[in-house]
Amino acid sequence: MKQTPYFFLLPSILILAFTSIYPICYSIYYSFFNWRWGNEKDFIGLSNYFNLLTDKEFWIIVKNTFVFAFFACLIEISIGVFLAIYIDRIKYGSTIIRTLLLIPLMISGISVTMLFKVILDNMFGIIPYFLSFVGIKSNFFGSYDAAMPTIIGLDVWWQTSFVFIIILAGLKSIPNEPIEAAKMDGATEWEITRYIRLPMIRSLLFLVLIFRSIDTLKVFDIVWGTTGGGPGLATEALQTYAYRVAYSFLEMSKSMTVMVLFSIVVIFLTVIYSKFNKDI
Amino acid sequence: MKKIFKYKHQITAYLVSFIAIGVTILPITWLFLLSIKSKGETFTKPPKWLFDPTVQNYIDLWDNDLFKDTFFNSFFITIISITLSIVIAIFAAYALKRYRIRFKTAFMQWLLLAYMLPEFLFVLPMFAIYQTIGIYDTYLGMALIYQVHVLPFSIWMLRSFLEEIPKEIDDAAYIDGCNSFQAIYKIYLPLIIPGIVATAILNGIWVWNELAIALGLTFFDSQPITVGVASFRGYASINWGGMTGSAIVSMIPMILFAAFAQKHIVKGLTLGSVKG
Repeated sequence: MKQTPYFFLLPSILILAFTSIYPICYSIYYSFFNWRWGNEKDFIGLSNYFNLLTDKEFWIIVKNTFVFAFFACLIEISIGVFLAIYIDRIKYGSTIIRTLLLIPLMISGISVTMLFKVILDNMFGIIPYFLSFVGIKSNFFGSYDAAMPTIIGLDVWWQTSFVFIIILAGLKSIPNEPIEAAKMDGATEWEITRYIRLPMIRSLLFLVLIFRSIDTLKVFDIVWGTTGGGPGLATEALQTYAYRVAYSFLEMSKSMTVMVLFSIVVIFLTVIYSKFNKDI
Repeated sequence: MKKIFKYKHQITAYLVSFIAIGVTILPITWLFLLSIKSKGETFTKPPKWLFDPTVQNYIDLWDNDLFKDTFFNSFFITIISITLSIVIAIFAAYALKRYRIRFKTAFMQWLLLAYMLPEFLFVLPMFAIYQTIGIYDTYLGMALIYQVHVLPFSIWMLRSFLEEIPKEIDDAAYIDGCNSFQAIYKIYLPLIIPGIVATAILNGIWVWNELAIALGLTFFDSQPITVGVASFRGYASINWGGMTGSAIVSMIPMILFAAFAQKHIVKGLTLGSVKG
């Protein structure tokens, strides 16, 4: 039967259409209206987009989101690759090391939030307590300057093992011959890593970069759970902003406009990834 | 001297991993210790290292009906989500492996896109339609919207497990007169059981840990554990026992389950493009 495969794909297509195509269409459609919860919806064309793109607050939030994503990705990928290079050399016990390092990845963002709210609490936290010995009065989540670096630090603690575990798997899969050959020629360990190992896993580095960029741009849990976007707008990200606009200010259309614009960025990054990924 | 040089790389490697493990494990251990301290001892300065452990915080959580409900809500939402996604994904993955399909590339890209879309994009549209058809704040509604993430993931994963099965087995099944359903049920399913378990676990971890969609689409009856944990983050008076205890309760099952999926985690994180 020629139709069999399509018959098998049909349930997936229906569910995915309902859960992905419908929300996109709905959001685009109502981004042209001035829908506030409980009020009439009037068609206002592109006004939402115009208002949003000329709104200073919105651009601060865009900047925050990209600053967060940039530094979180940079630090996570640096530390993750560094760890993978070192742990790749370990002969005994690498399984247990891997297992322990993977734990943060299995924890929900909100638990990470709670964990660090307890540890970094100004009054009772253990780290501010130790810092007070060296005369530092810390305010991790509350001060305008420290809040964003703190959130980035949370994400680094939470997600670095994502980079680490993938790069480690990549390094382990590299064939031994070119490395042996380089050793014969007298290359040092770092030269081998720099000129043989890393170039051989560059497709994985690209995958990690794209996946982490998308994931950090989508940041929600750890911002909502700790600072709630504050102080002021210091840590407000696009998704927490969309949440606040819809659930606190009840401006449904505005919230959906934010998400439509944001989704374009995510779709763009995904398309770049799939262009370079031969698997698809 | 030469011998020390030979082991230098090994020693630094162990040192680096030791520090990394410390940074990873110490905060969680600290959180756990706080959760088994009694109320008076939680935040004494300097911190008390020797204390009588108590499970009072956990008993309080168990007596807290609101939190207990969120635990079981999450449990049921997770079970429904993964069952639904695995059953549907097996057929899709089989079709993608066995047949030549038009628009295959487009379909795979669609899966990737659905998997990547930001969570909050779904919330308002789903809120509207769920209110209309009456599945707002139900297990079914939550499991359904979670499919946008777990279904593409399952299809990608199961497809990559199926690809590892040689085509000859499939041809042999056909020659012996199996139809597609029999081929899936009798030949493929037993061969990819470990893959299915790993996929289910990784899906389960994602669903269990999801917060953004749950905040928007649940109100009371189906609030998952992430919302339950979040309910302890008060600003005025903080319930430290609840915060530490609930965070530990929500972490433990996932850390244990992850141990079972160890072998396939890398494959999971890269959507099947790297074998772990």
